[in-house]
Amino acid sequence: MRRVLAIAGNTFRETIRDRVLAVIVLFALSMIVASLWLASISLGQQGRMMKDFGLVAVSLFGLIVAVFVAASLVHKEVEKRTVFVLFSKPVGRTQFIWGKFLGLAATMLAVMAGMGLFLFVVDWFVAGHPSGWLPVAVGLIYLQLLTIMAVTILFSTVASAILASVLGICVFVAGQLSHNVLSLTGLGHGAVLRGLSWVVFVLVPNLSAVDIKASVVGEGAPDWSQVGLWGGYLAAYIVAVLVLASVIFRRKEF
Amino acid sequence: MTNVTDHGDRPVALKVAGLRKTVHSGFRRRSREILRGVDLEVREGDVFGLLGPNGAGKTTTVKVVLGLMRPTAGTVELNVEGLGEVGYMPENPYFYDYLTGREFLLFCARLFAIEAHERRRRVDGLLSDVGLEAAGGTQLRKYSKGMLQRIGIAQALVNDPKLVLLDEPMTGLDPLGRVEVKHIIEALRRRGKTVLFNSHILADVAELCSRIAIMDRGQVVWQGAVQDALADADGDLEAFFVRTVGK
Repeated sequence: MRRVLAIAGNTFRETIRDRVLAVIVLFALSMIVASLWLASISLGQQGRMMKDFGLVAVSLFGLIVAVFVAASLVHKEVEKRTVFVLFSKPVGRTQFIWGKFLGLAATMLAVMAGMGLFLFVVDWFVAGHPSGWLPVAVGLIYLQLLTIMAVTILFSTVASAILASVLGICVFVAGQLSHNVLSLTGLGHGAVLRGLSWVVFVLVPNLSAVDIKASVVGEGAPDWSQVGLWGGYLAAYIVAVLVLASVIFRRKEF
Repeated sequence: MTNVTDHGDRPVALKVAGLRKTVHSGFRRRSREILRGVDLEVREGDVFGLLGPNGAGKTTTVKVVLGLMRPTAGTVELNVEGLGEVGYMPENPYFYDYLTGREFLLFCARLFAIEAHERRRRVDGLLSDVGLEAAGGTQLRKYSKGMLQRIGIAQALVNDPKLVLLDEPMTGLDPLGRVEVKHIIEALRRRGKTVLFNSHILADVAELCSRIAIMDRGQVVWQGAVQDALADADGDLEAFFVRTVGK
C-alpha cells in the first residue's frame, strides 16, 4: 500500500504541475463566466441556464482532462522509459496501475473541486441563494469521470495514447446513452438483438444513471436509491476495469 | 569462446546461464533471436564491464536480469534478496519533468519503504555525492543531459544496493562528468559493492573494471579478467575488442 501511495503522490505532483492542466481549467472557468452572459439573454430562465451551462462546462472540461491525462499517464511512462526505473525497484505492475489511477483521481478531485466551487459561487451570485444540488451534481460528474479514467487507462495498456483518448471519449458518449441501449431489448423479438443489447448495456458503464442535472435545474428530485445503486455499480465497474488493466500490464515486456 | 579465468572464491553475485530471448515484431510477427545462449558470471565485489557493439544484446541481458523482459530460455540467479538490493540506471535516463531532483530521489526512496528520516538523510548524501546539492530544488525538465545522468545514478543508489547495474553511465557526459561518475564507481568498489555496467568507452572500462565480458550477436564471445585482455593485446583493450568481435 505504501508503494501505491508513493506512486499516487508522485502522479498527483507531476500532473497538477503540468501547465496544460492549468490552461484547460482556465478555459473551463471562462466558460462558466460566459454562462453569465448566456443566462442574461434567456428570458426568465437565468438561474436554470446558468446551472445547466455551467455543469456542461464542468463535465466537458473535466472529461478533456480525465481522458487526455489518463491516456498519456501509462503510455508516457513506457515511452519515456521511466517504467525501467520503477520496475527495477520492488514495485509490482498492479501497484503501478492503482497508484497511477489514485494519483490522477486526486488531481481530478482538485480540478473538479476548483471548477465546482467557482460554479457554486457564480450561481449563488446570480440566483441570490446557494444551490445545494450543485456540489452533489459535480460530485456525481466526478464519479463518471473516474469511470472514464479507469477505462482510458485500460485502453492505454493496449493502444496508443491517441487511440486510448478517442476510445475513452467514445465510452463517455456511449455511457450517456446506455439506458437507450437497454430499451432496445424491449423492441422486437430477435434474440440476437436482445442479447447484443444486453452485452452492450453490461459492458458500457451506465453514466446517465448518476446524472442529476435535471434535478439541479428544478425538474424534480432524483431517485436517491437509484443514484446510490448505480453509484455502487460504477465503483465496482472501476475496480473490475483496473483489475483487467493490471492483468494486461503484467504481461507486458519493456 | 568463453575464457573464464580464476577470480577468487568470492560468492557469485549474478549468474546467467543459457539465456535466450526471441522477440516477435511487425504485422507478420516475425521472430528475431536477440539473445542466443548468454552465459555470464559476476562475483561479489567485481566491477564488471559488459562490452559489445550496438545490438549485441547487452541492454536486453540487463533487462532480463531485472525482470523487465521474460527469457525464452535459460536462467538468471541473483545472490540478493529481491530487487530491494539491486540498483539500476537505464541508458539515456528520462525522469519526471515537473519533479525536482530532490523530490524524485525521495520518491524512489519511498518505493523501497525507507523511513522518512533515513530517506532525507540518504537523499542529501546522494545529492552531494553526485554533485547536485545546488540543483536539488530544480525541476528535472531544466536539467542538462549530464545532470540527468547523475540523478539517474543517485536513484540507482538510493537503497544502498549490493548489486548496481548501470547502462551506459558515461554516455552524454562531459570530461568532468565522466570523472565524477568514475569516482562514484570507484567508491562503490571500495565499499565492496558489485557493479555491472555497459559501456562503449573502453578506456573507462580498462580503468575501472576488474572483469569484462564481450558480447556479439546475442552471445558472450569472451569473458575474463581485464588484465588478461590487456596482456593479450599489448595493453590495448580497443585492439583486443576489435579482434574478439571481428572473429
